[in-house]
Amino acid sequence: MTIRICLADDHAIVLEGLRALVDGEPDMTVVGATTDGDAVEALVRRESPDVLVLDYELGGRRAPEVIQTLRQGEQVPRILILTAYHDGETIRSALESGAEGLALKTASPQQTLSAIRQVMAGQLVFPQAARRWLEARQASRSDEVTAREREVWGLIAEGLTNVQIAERLALSENTVKFHVQHLFQKLGVKNRTEAALRHATSGRVPRGPTTG
Amino acid sequence: MTTAEESPGTASLRLLAAGERELQRIVLDMHDGPVQDLFAAMSHLQLLERELAAQPEAQRRTQQSIHLLERALGEIRTLIGVFRPPGFERRDLGAILEGLVVQHEALTDQSVDLTLDPALGDCPLPTKIALYRILQEALANSHRHAAATRQTVTVERTGAQFALTVSDDGRGFESRRVLAAEADVGVEGGHFGLRGIQDRVGMLGGTFTIESAPGRGTTLRVTLPAA
Repeated sequence: MTIRICLADDHAIVLEGLRALVDGEPDMTVVGATTDGDAVEALVRRESPDVLVLDYELGGRRAPEVIQTLRQGEQVPRILILTAYHDGETIRSALESGAEGLALKTASPQQTLSAIRQVMAGQLVFPQAARRWLEARQASRSDEVTAREREVWGLIAEGLTNVQIAERLALSENTVKFHVQHLFQKLGVKNRTEAALRHATSGRVPRGPTTG
Repeated sequence: MTTAEESPGTASLRLLAAGERELQRIVLDMHDGPVQDLFAAMSHLQLLERELAAQPEAQRRTQQSIHLLERALGEIRTLIGVFRPPGFERRDLGAILEGLVVQHEALTDQSVDLTLDPALGDCPLPTKIALYRILQEALANSHRHAAATRQTVTVERTGAQFALTVSDDGRGFESRRVLAAEADVGVEGGHFGLRGIQDRVGMLGGTFTIESAPGRGTTLRVTLPAA
């Protein structure tokens, strides 16, 4: 199977280089590319790629904002954020935006290719250190349930399985597992039944706006 | 108050913040220029390398070029990591210190136990910058020199002061001798070192102690006024 890829980066030279490299791979093809941050949604709608490689800063727009808009569409590709920064803040916002992975522009482009294959295979591609930090952070700030987690929470309360939730929200199953794990930590519950019970008594709106 | 009337202390603190802004600009230039060019060049070279399968000598030279560019990018990655200010004015103290620890772990594969006082709150910009840069230096020292496998960081707020403690299980050193050797390292000395930590602490009216002995790890303690 050939992985169909869209590239979005406001540096034309990066786009040109990456496009040539990707197209040289036997299992990948670039179906669309843009340097314009405002054109990403239209491109994705038109091409329905499997994977979108998205520059973290695309002109005036940041990747999390673009992803939030993409999420409102019918078809959401797996998203790999491309960035030169590997600080905690960038990694955290990439994780919370719901992207499937992060690749560095300060590493070999070969690694970007590997990351594309990994996200396509349903893996989350983030530095190990970031996950530990995220879990610890969320455990220490147990009241902060993100909009996306609230959405997942509502669907758990409806009795949906992870696979069904993944389908409903157009996410990978791994991403859903990730959200569920963090939600349980934040709520201090051990299983779905407890989470559902808590949901019934929380008085929260089951499905908030899709803000990731 | 005009510049001429400012106390030397105020001027130093203002310069500190200005220095961070300058770093921000330099890192941005590196990001927008060399990083993009190098990444693009490597993409082309990696493709070229594959196409040269029938010409081993040319392929070898291309691989060599790729390695050189990879190394250059790796150095830039470290520089950006070290110098890029973490949005001091936008984010609170806890968030920037957590971010720093994650970045350190990701870069070094070293494990850091971080405990932040839940009541840490925020603090004035110069204090925030100082705590960030001091922790950064302490973590880097322990990685560079101490061969530590584990580091413990705690940041507490007690009354009117912050207390930062950084411990490692590394090989330790004779702190008195190292401090004395760094005493006359000037701006051209290259990196901040323990002397740099002392200077930052001194500028803000805090305290600095370091306990270390060969074979017994290192514990660094810094207190800074919270306001």
